[in-house]
Parts: sequence; C-alpha cells; structure tokens
Amino acid sequence: MSDPLVSIRNLGLRYGTFRALEDVSADFSRGTCIVICGPSGSGKSSLLRCINRLEEFQDGDVVFDGASLRACRDLPRLRSEIGMVFQHFELYPHLSVLDNVTLAPRIAKGKPRQEAEETARRLLDRVGIGDQAGKFPGELSGGQQQRAAIARALALEPKLMLFDEPTSALDPEMIAEVLRVMRDLARNGMTMLVVTHEMAFAREVADEIVFMDKGRIVERAETARFFSAPTAPRAREFLDRILHRL
Amino acid sequence: MNLNYTFNWGMLLVDPARSWILNGIAMTIGLSLLAWVFALAIGVTIGSMRMTRSRWLRFLGGAYVELFRNVPLLVQLFIWFFVFPLLLPRDWMMAWNGLDHVPLLTALIGLSLYMAARVAEQIRSGIAAIPKGQFAAARSTGLGEFQVYRHVIAPYAFRVMIPAIASEFMTTFKNSALALTIGVAEITYAARSIESWSFRGIEAFTVASATYMTTTAFVVLFMGWLERRLRIPGLIARR
Amino acid sequence: MGFDWAVIHDNLPFLMRGLWNSVQLAAITVVLSFPLGCIVALGRISRRRWLRYPATMLVHALRSNPLILIVFWFFFLVPILTGRPVGDFASVLAAFVVFFSAYFAEIVRSGIQSVRRGQLEAALSTGLTYAQAMRFIVLPQALRSMTPSLATECVIVFQGTTIAYVVGMREFLHTTFLVTERTMRPVELYLFAALVYFVVCLAGSIFARRLEGKAGIPR
Repeated sequence: MSDPLVSIRNLGLRYGTFRALEDVSADFSRGTCIVICGPSGSGKSSLLRCINRLEEFQDGDVVFDGASLRACRDLPRLRSEIGMVFQHFELYPHLSVLDNVTLAPRIAKGKPRQEAEETARRLLDRVGIGDQAGKFPGELSGGQQQRAAIARALALEPKLMLFDEPTSALDPEMIAEVLRVMRDLARNGMTMLVVTHEMAFAREVADEIVFMDKGRIVERAETARFFSAPTAPRAREFLDRILHRL
Repeated sequence: MNLNYTFNWGMLLVDPARSWILNGIAMTIGLSLLAWVFALAIGVTIGSMRMTRSRWLRFLGGAYVELFRNVPLLVQLFIWFFVFPLLLPRDWMMAWNGLDHVPLLTALIGLSLYMAARVAEQIRSGIAAIPKGQFAAARSTGLGEFQVYRHVIAPYAFRVMIPAIASEFMTTFKNSALALTIGVAEITYAARSIESWSFRGIEAFTVASATYMTTTAFVVLFMGWLERRLRIPGLIARR
Repeated sequence: MGFDWAVIHDNLPFLMRGLWNSVQLAAITVVLSFPLGCIVALGRISRRRWLRYPATMLVHALRSNPLILIVFWFFFLVPILTGRPVGDFASVLAAFVVFFSAYFAEIVRSGIQSVRRGQLEAALSTGLTYAQAMRFIVLPQALRSMTPSLATECVIVFQGTTIAYVVGMREFLHTTFLVTERTMRPVELYLFAALVYFVVCLAGSIFARRLEGKAGIPR
C-alpha cells in the first residue's frame, strides 16, 4: 500500500461530550471496495462524513489524494472529487432527474450545459434509467431515485465514492437493482467505501471489511477471512446475529 | 445627521409622567388579560362549533372567523365605538352612553371578539395536527364522540397548542395598544401623552417598548417552563 | 334612524384616493421588507455569532413591540436623525418596512428550515459552495413551502396600513374618518370601509389558502 487514496490518521470526532469517533486510523488504496459494517451508532456514517468534511472533526486528519483535509482551503473542489450517496437519496425534488445530475458539473465545474447533459444521459443509461431523465424525483420509485443519485455523484468523475447505507431506505425488491449498479462500479475499478448491512453484497464485492464498534475500528480483514474467522469477539457476535437473520 | 438631543430620564419618575406610566402599564396588562380570557372562551366555543357534525354550526363558526379575521382590528374598534351605539334601540343607546368607561368596554369587546377568531383558528389547526389514528383508536376502545374529545383529543391538543396560545396572548397584548385610538389610556397612550407634554419622545417611547419587551420575555420564559413540565415524551412541540 | 347610502357615492373619489394610498403603502412595504427580511433570516441562521446575535435581537425586539408604537418611534425619531422634517408617508413607510421585515424574516427562516438538512449536505457533497447550495437547492424549495405564509403576511400588511391613521397619513381609514367628521354619517361610512377591507382581505386569504394546496412538491 504505497500510495493510499485515503489516509485517516488518529481521527477524533465529538458531538458535545459524546465521542462519535476515537483515534481512528486507516489507509484505503486506489481501486479497492471496502465495506464498513458494525452496529448502529458505531460511527460508520460519521467516519464516511468526515472524509468529505460534512462533519468537522476535532482531532487527527484525513489525507485525500495527498492533500490534508484539515488544511484544505477549497472544500468545494475537494468535495467535487468525492461522490457521496445518501441513505435517503436527497435528490433535489424541484429539479428534473437530468437537472439533478447536471447541476453540480455546470455550477461547480463550469461545464457547458450541452456537455454536462451528454455526460448525464450516458450515466443515466449506465444505471439503467435513461428513459426517466425528464421526470421529477417524486415520480420515480425508490430504487430508481437511488440510482439517479448514484449518477449524480458519478457526474463529477470522482476519484472516490462514499455510500452511506444506500439500500436501508429501500423496499426489498428494489435493493437488488441498486446493488447491481454498485457491483458494476466496483468491477470497473472505482474506489468505494460502503457503509451497509448487506452482507451478501459485502462477501461478493468487497475486497476488505472494516468492522467498527463504539467509534473505533475493531477489526479489518480481507473479505474471505473476515467471514470465515473474525478475530474480534464483537465482530463475531455481530456476524452471527446478522447472518442468522438472513 | 445632527443629534442635539439631551436625555432626561429623571422626569419619568415624577408626576404627572410617573402616574401616567403606572396607570398605563396597569391598563395595558388588565385590558389584555381580560380580553385574552374572553378570547379563549369565545374562541374555544367557535373552534368547537367548527368541529361538530352540524353543517349550520360549522358554517356559523367559519363565517365568524372569516369576518373577524379579514377586517382590520382598528376598523373593528371604530365600528364598536362609533357605529354600534347608533344601531342600538334608543333607550339602550342612552344606557350604554351612560356607562362608565365606555372606551375601555368598547376596546374590551373589540379586542376579545377579534382575538377569538384567531384562537378558533389555532384550535382548529391544533386538532387537525392530531394524527387521524388517534380518533380511530379512541373510538375502537368504545369511547363515544364526546368522550373521545374530552379524554383523548383535548389533552393532546392542549399540550400541542401551548406555544400558539402563548403567542396569541402576546398578540392580544400588543394589539391592546390600538385602544389608544378610542381614548383608552394604556401604556402607548401614556408614552404619547408624555411626549407631547415634555417633547421627550425617546424617553417616553422607551418606557412603552420596555413594558412590551419585558412582558414578552416573561411570557416566553414561563411558557418554556410550562411546555417542559407538560411535555409528552417523544413529541416535539411544533411552532 | 334612516340610512343614507348616497354619502358614499358622493364622496367616493376622495375615499378611493385613500384606498389607493393604503394599497401603495402596503405594496411598497412588501416589496422592500421581503428582501430585507431574507437578509435578516440568513443572519438568523448563520453560524457566525456576530451576524446571528444582532439579527436575532432585532427580530425579537421588533416582534415584541406593537406596530403602532414602532410608527410613533419613527415619526418621532426620523426627523431627529435626518435633521429635517420628512413627510408622513416617508416616516410611516420606514416604520412599516423595518417592522414587517422582522415578520418576513421569520417566515423565510422557517421556510429554509423546513428543507431537510440532507438537501444542503447533498449539494455540498457535489462540490457546490454554501452560497450556491442556498441559491440553487435550499432557497427554491424554501420559497415554495413559504408562499402561503407570504401571501397571508401580505394581507396582514394591508390590514396594518390602517395604523398609519394615527399619524395622520391619508390612508383609507383616515379618509373615511374625515368624511364622517364632515357628513356625520359614521354608520354608513364605517360599514362601507369594513366591507371594502373585508372583500380585499378575504380575497387575499382565499388566494393564500389556494397556494397552500399547491405548495407541496412531490417527494
């Protein structure tokens, strides 16, 4: 791991007196797909949100592509290199799907409308909703909305994609279509950090699993090893519970 | 800008300014408290009328609210003051004019009826904010229509409406200032009297503003306390 | 007693000039105090204390005073501050604009806060600046959710114009008053004034309610 894309160093995040993250350190290399799992409240989402500084952490630092986030003076530029997908999609309800995807490239990156729209249509085709471009988010199913949100994040040609529980708000029959898009992305070499409870997805797609508990990383292992023989007792317990439910 | 104004706060502490101020504050508080109590009583009645099954009562309640909300309060005060006595039968009019404190009574009537329409609206939106499931659940346990309101809806609605009721009191309090137009010597009237008597507008109006702002602060603090006392766990009181 | 409705007909031009002044005062007040209110609202939700504290204090101070007292304040203060007499209209207008900007600010603030925080975060995560995220994502949604309240507030402003009567501005209530002084026909005139206010304000209220039905954005 000579040149990691993301390097987290002794990261600490507090909300008032509650410690959401404590002394978290980890490197993530280019082209890998990492699944972050753990019980709720373990700090998974907080970790993700620190990586594009949606959370202002107090201690430590995150180095993205060689640049320190703490020292970053141009957050918008940094964020435009990191795509993020949210649990509740957060598509802009007052804009068409196409405008949702083209807004940031046009406004933040100054691309001409025509170029932005061509890219957007290509991406919408890629996630399988090319025919929905003219509709408003409210007219789409949950699975379609989440795929549109993925297209919106991809439109910035990001170096890294963050997925914050992308399927938790979806009905079971729509989860598969979103996971399929994510799997294709991973296969094409996108660097991805995915917070999810979808263990089947993790087992199939992830290169490594990071297990968090109480604001710390308690286990990190290659996928096969994590599922066959987790070392941390908390991770074993968690796996037992979540796999038996499946 | 030329500011050649010398302050003289001391003159507020001697008569006549002093007694004007004290009487004005008493008048403002008394008038608005009374009007608020009447407004609550009438407003709850009107609000309940709009919840009944009777189409007639609903229409009457709705008409009341629209009428009193869509005519400016000052115009309503003028009508109660200048028009209403003239429409009374002759002996009634004589009796009315013979009463003490006609301006104050007029202001009380006008303010109460005006605020009642607003209270009625608050009642309605408070009840509308109650999840429909509550009605069904209460009825399914065998409660009658009235019992549902008495034991389930009213306690719930009351807690949800505390902020609105408090803000209606503040509105009553501020609106009572309009009574000065028909000669009620409340605090804003007092401030103006002091201004025209001494030409010390800043000092005079400061006293009036301070009265309103202090009262507001007290009501806000008290209501915050009340709201915490009566809070339903898991329910955030909406503004 | 008998009614004499001709008194309205005879004085209609004079009364209508008053009504026109009322409408003008209300319209200019809205046009000026809404943008001012937007600025104050952005101050109210700012993270910077030196913006948030003064904005919050201004809003609370204005909202806890009656409009009539603010009108007196301005009527008294504006000539002192400017050093020369200004017309009734100017001082009343200044009072109205300042007073109602506090109310518009609260409407705008609650409109902004009705937009889910995730919307702002999503916009920021795609590399928009805070200002761009506000301009393209948050404010358009906020505006839609607050249009009914804005319409209602316009009705309140129009009702508020009657208060200009106390400093002698020739708005509709004042012209009505002047005609009653001359003709001694308060019943007809005040009932007519009430009817006019009622019709205008009811139309505004119904319009606001219509907007409320349409304000929702499909989610």
